[in-house]
Order: sequence, then C-alpha cells, then structure tokens
Amino acid sequence: MNRNHKMMLASIVSTVAAGVLIVTSTVQAKPPRSDAQIAQEQALLMQAVAKGDGLWHDGSLGTNGLACGNCHPDGSASNPHTFPKFQSNLGKVGTLRDMINWCIMVPMQGKALALDSDEMTAMEAYSTFTHRGLAIAPAKDEQHGAIPVAGGPGYPSQ
Amino acid sequence: MKKISRRQFLGYTTKAGAATMFTGIFAPSATSFFGLGGVAEAATKKIKPFNFAVLTDAHLYDIKDHKFDTILEKAVADVNSLNPAPDFVLYGGDLGQSGKESELLKGKKILDKLKMKYRIIPGEHDWYLDMGKSWRGLFGDENWSFDHNGVHFIALNSILVPDFWTMKNLTPRERMGLMEELECHKCGLWGVGSKQLEWLAKDVKKVTPDTPVVIMTHSPLWDYYPRWNFQTYDAPQIRDLLRKFDKVISIHGHVHQVVYNEIGNIKSCGLLSTSWPWPYPPVDLPYPLIRQRRADPGDFEDGLGAHNVQLKEDFAGMMQWRAFSDLLPENIKQGLKV
Repeated sequence: MNRNHKMMLASIVSTVAAGVLIVTSTVQAKPPRSDAQIAQEQALLMQAVAKGDGLWHDGSLGTNGLACGNCHPDGSASNPHTFPKFQSNLGKVGTLRDMINWCIMVPMQGKALALDSDEMTAMEAYSTFTHRGLAIAPAKDEQHGAIPVAGGPGYPSQ
Repeated sequence: MKKISRRQFLGYTTKAGAATMFTGIFAPSATSFFGLGGVAEAATKKIKPFNFAVLTDAHLYDIKDHKFDTILEKAVADVNSLNPAPDFVLYGGDLGQSGKESELLKGKKILDKLKMKYRIIPGEHDWYLDMGKSWRGLFGDENWSFDHNGVHFIALNSILVPDFWTMKNLTPRERMGLMEELECHKCGLWGVGSKQLEWLAKDVKKVTPDTPVVIMTHSPLWDYYPRWNFQTYDAPQIRDLLRKFDKVISIHGHVHQVVYNEIGNIKSCGLLSTSWPWPYPPVDLPYPLIRQRRADPGDFEDGLGAHNVQLKEDFAGMMQWRAFSDLLPENIKQGLKV
C-alpha cells in the first residue's frame, strides 16, 4: 500500500466513523444502564449517606462530646449547596470539606479528616443529600433547616 | 325571620357563654363573658408588678472545664446583675447532656450561685439514662405550681415518650443515646401524659379565670416541627384546660431559638439556650418577624443567652431575650410585648 492508498483508506475510515458517530449520537454514546445497575449505584450512594449520618452524629470525631448533629440536626444549616464560598471563620473561599474540618477542629476540638478520605466523602454525601433540590442562593439572614423530613432517617435505608 | 332584641341576644349569648365555660369546648375569656352580660368590664386580676428570669438548655457534659460550663456561669452572672433583680428564676430543662448525675450535679452547683431561688423542670437529656432518678433526687418534683404576686405559675414535664426500649432490649445508655439525637425517629413524640393532665385539671380548678397564668414546659405547647419534637403531643388537652383563663404566657426551652406563637389566649415564647443555637426548621414561622438572626459559628456565644420577663400590674408582659452576642433584629432588641 503506497502513501496515497493509505491516505484514501484513512479518509474512508474517518468518513465512516463520522457517519457512525452522527447516527449513534442521536441515540446514545453507550448502551443505557440497566435498572439493576442504576439501583446498585443508588444503593452505594445511600450507603455513603448512611455512613455520613453515623459520623455526623458521632461525638468521637471531637474531644468535647459534641457531634456535628448537635448544631445541625438532619444536616440542617450545613448548606452544602452554597459552597465554595467565602466563609469568615475560614478567612478564605473554602469548600464544604474545609468547613466540615473547621467544625471538627474548632467547636468539636477534634482532628481534621483527610480531605480525600471515605469518611469525608460520606459526610459530604449526608450533608448534600439532606439539601437535595434546594436552589443555590445567597445566604439569608437566618439559619434555616434542610429539606423537610417526614419520618425515618431521611433517606432510603434497610 | 323574627328579630332578636338586644336583651334576648345578650341572654342567649350569656347562657351559651356559661355553658361553654363549663364544657371547656369554647370558653370565652372572663372579660368577654362579663362584657356581654353587662355586669362589669372585668379585666385580668391586678397583680403586684415584678420580673423573673429564665435560663434553659445548658447541655452540660461530664468533662472538666467544658466550654458550656463557662456559658452557664455567664448566664447566671447575667441574671445576678439584673436591676431590678428578678424575684426568682425558672430553669426550662436539659441541664445535662447525657442524663448523668455528675452533669446534673455540676449544673446544680452553678445554678446554686444564683442570688435568688430557682425552680426547675427536666428535659429529655436529663431523663433517659435513669428515667429521672438522679434528676428527682436532686431537684424533686417534675411538675409543680405556685402563686407569686397574684400570678399562678405552672410547670409540667413534657418530655415523656411511650416505651420504645424494652421491646428492643436497649441498655439505659443506648436509650439515652437515641434520645440525645434531636431527629431521633425511633423515639416517638413527647407529651406530659395522662397523670400530669389529671394533676393540671385539679390544679387549675381552684384558680379563677381572671388570674394571670404563666406555664413553663420543655417543649412548645403547639405543633411547630414534630420531627424534632418541637411539639407536645397532648398540648391540645393542656390548652383546653387553660382556655378558661383570660391570658396565659407560655415559655418553653428545647428549641434553642427565638420563636413566638399565639394560640387563643396563650402567648408562647421559645428560649435561647446556653449551649448552641438551632436553625429554624423547614416550616413557615407563625410570626416570621419574631426570630433571631443567623449566628456566627466562629463566635461561641452567638445564639445563646438568658431571659428576663417583666410583668406589669395589668399582666402586660415584656419578654426580653438577653442574647450574649449581636443576635436580635431591631424589632425585638428591647423585648417583645406579651
């Protein structure tokens, strides 16, 4: 195959590929996930939320008996959807994870969690799940609750 | 249609008024009753003016030199500095955090520094480790009443839940641990229970409807946010028993925030804690302008405070939330007329 042949072949391949792309992109890039897969992924998220709920109410993260849940029942007033933002107690634009660690270190007098730890992800999952659907808006001049919870732990659980 | 004369109308309404006063379904106040009958424009009985202080929700831990100890000390000092000095102090529950006798003892030691006498009721944090044994040993009766300068004071233990622990074989510590969570969904709704309702019925029977009444409970006597037990399940029965009075001021702890409501003849005020402030739950406030501002998490005294309640001769009240930081909006900074 000479150089011209090679170029022609490449051109045909890319044209075919583009054609395929055009056709498939109107449907799905990948075959859709099955309901079972989605349920499994959702269950993993709820596991993280449940783990976060446990940590949220665990006084052993601090040293003075306080847990996050003392001031933030049902995740209230943790406002995960408003981060990153300037937080005066942090003295900088910080993330929710920075704020969680500040609460652990200052009011709870505990040791900060590693930012990439499973524990931190779980805390973030709990806080975020309790505020799902809330609009990102500038802080109001009052502390307000997360979304209303009618009963149970506030998320699907066993 | 036959016209009803004024005299007949007055006769009907007076009878209706008398009947309902006894049934307690719809009792007009003493003022309106006598007003309709044209006998006298009777107002609430005159009282000798005074003020009293209120503290609540210290949530003391069995940890040496805990920051909440200092804040309760500060609240006690604030009350001691009031001029004019309050005649007495009421304490609204949750002196301890985990129901330990050591926490209650520590709290009692601090409260004993008050220059005036105090009366106290329990909160759920004081109670569910030993079902009130330590609390009763230190403080006595969980519900009580007394008269002062013409005002009838009543207090009830509103944190009683049906047994959720025996069936699950929970240890006292496990039971307490669940009750310590505000959003415990396994613990059930609180109330005062039938025994205290009977006691209350008996207590108010001897009190005339024109007597000013102040009632203190740990939880509010209205359905605010049951999810967090910002409620008392048998509050409707309590309100029925108090309906005969011209005016009732209800004060309650547990909510750790400024909140206000009026139901019929009852004006209800929520109190600041000396531990941590709670956010407003995700429901509409009945009086949205009577609320505190966002507390600064970096200021450990923000959202906390003591209270002074002044009562005038005609039982006009002034509720003052004495916040330790800049918490109150202008409209309630000096107090709220109740």
